[in-house]
Amino acid sequence: MASIALRDVCVEFPIYNAAGRSLRRGLLRTVGGGLDGADAGVVRVQALRNVDLALAPGDRLALVGHNGAGKSTLLRVLSGAYEPSSGEAAITGRVASLLDITLGMDEDLTGRENIALRAAFAGLTRRELAERMDEIAEFCELGAFLDLPMRTYSSGMALRVAFAVSTALTPDILLIDELIAVGDAGFAAKARARIESLMDRTAILVLASHSAEILESYCNKAIRMEGGRVVAAGTVREVVGG
Amino acid sequence: MAFYHIISRREAALAVADLSTGSRSWPIWTHLGLMDIRQRYRRSRLGQFWITLSMALFVGGIGLVNASLFKAAAADYIPYLAASFTVWTLVAGLANDATGVFTQAAPFLRQAAIPKTVFVLRVMTRNLVAFAHNLAIVPMVFLVFGVWPGTTALLALPGLALLLAAGFCAVHAVGVLATRFRDLPQIMQNVVQLAFFLTPVMWRPEQLGPQARALLSFNPFAVYLSLVADPLLGRAPPLGTWLAGVGLLLPLAGVAWILFARFRARIPYWL
Repeated sequence: MASIALRDVCVEFPIYNAAGRSLRRGLLRTVGGGLDGADAGVVRVQALRNVDLALAPGDRLALVGHNGAGKSTLLRVLSGAYEPSSGEAAITGRVASLLDITLGMDEDLTGRENIALRAAFAGLTRRELAERMDEIAEFCELGAFLDLPMRTYSSGMALRVAFAVSTALTPDILLIDELIAVGDAGFAAKARARIESLMDRTAILVLASHSAEILESYCNKAIRMEGGRVVAAGTVREVVGG
Repeated sequence: MAFYHIISRREAALAVADLSTGSRSWPIWTHLGLMDIRQRYRRSRLGQFWITLSMALFVGGIGLVNASLFKAAAADYIPYLAASFTVWTLVAGLANDATGVFTQAAPFLRQAAIPKTVFVLRVMTRNLVAFAHNLAIVPMVFLVFGVWPGTTALLALPGLALLLAAGFCAVHAVGVLATRFRDLPQIMQNVVQLAFFLTPVMWRPEQLGPQARALLSFNPFAVYLSLVADPLLGRAPPLGTWLAGVGLLLPLAGVAWILFARFRARIPYWL
């Protein structure tokens, strides 16, 4: 069963300037002794501070906050890409993150090859892929273009492929960073319907957005983030409206 | 042991999980590795056979020049060069690609919980596929010069297994370090270039004096090269070389384990 449990999660980024990343500097520092501390040249960014969060099936969480409040970092922790620097994150269930839907797509590969690549990452066997390929291809409406390298695509066409493959599987946990419109008007409507049905089917949804209207229509709880902390939690109306 | 306390039980468990799920995700890493090869030669008419062709040209050209420089018979020297340079390309390729193993995978690692080992195995797949293309040269050269290695050639298989095991550890270790220290790719290029001259690829160990020859067992490149290239040429590597191959593997695996288990979780933060 799908669940998310974050306990006292902190994410701290070391930002190394060019000197901090070089081995030579590291060696010199060791030789010179701890004159200016071990962290010379390293700036630390606290992206998440002491975040607690528990989600169960049926939860649709709205994530609000200004740019840089820590929403994307939190989504990356939930996707499993970032393991917290301290605290614990227990995430069970298959996660799909629509954070960057063009993830790992290669413009020298054909649309079809890119779909196969993404499917492999999602854990699909060749047979499962073969079963879904037609559906995905049909959804993109690219016809013969699907067998051409993606560098020949317009950006809208590339997004169609990315979107179709990103939404082909029903995950247990769905992470979305801003619902963006994909493609022209006709396709955008189709895409919206597809993602809505996905949001319906997934056990847990986490949606970050700046639009109160979107959050209110899809979510049943909300948290507001500021400076890496959760500063408010409650219903969408309480948190977003306030 | 002091190192024991560096890694918490949790980190160790996560690293083991990474290694095992990563290894079992073979559809992903074979796919990525093969794609790397296909992509490099896309839109070229000969495609990946450029790998084979470049090797043939190199072995033919350098072979003729060096045979006359070293005053060796071409019939003797060129087969030697073909086998040793083919294996060298694998060793050098793994060493150089190790530095980019995680930085190259940044978009994936930043967004999803994919075992890091997947990308190590992708680098290994890519280099093995290139090795297979290069290896095609060896029997052709042998045919031209009438060399027959006999069944000793089969010893190349355990040799290759040792080389790949060492490569698996080294790519993990170097990958972690190179993600943190961005000078390492440049350093590694120079190390590999230097190692090329210090390793019997273009010259033979017999050309060294006995003392210098003993030093070769401390050159890991030379050890693993000899374990694969010698059998291909029909010579069984001496017992000492096998022992060196196994002996080097242990500290290598230890260092790789410490680095990987300790810093695996930090990799996405360093990208």
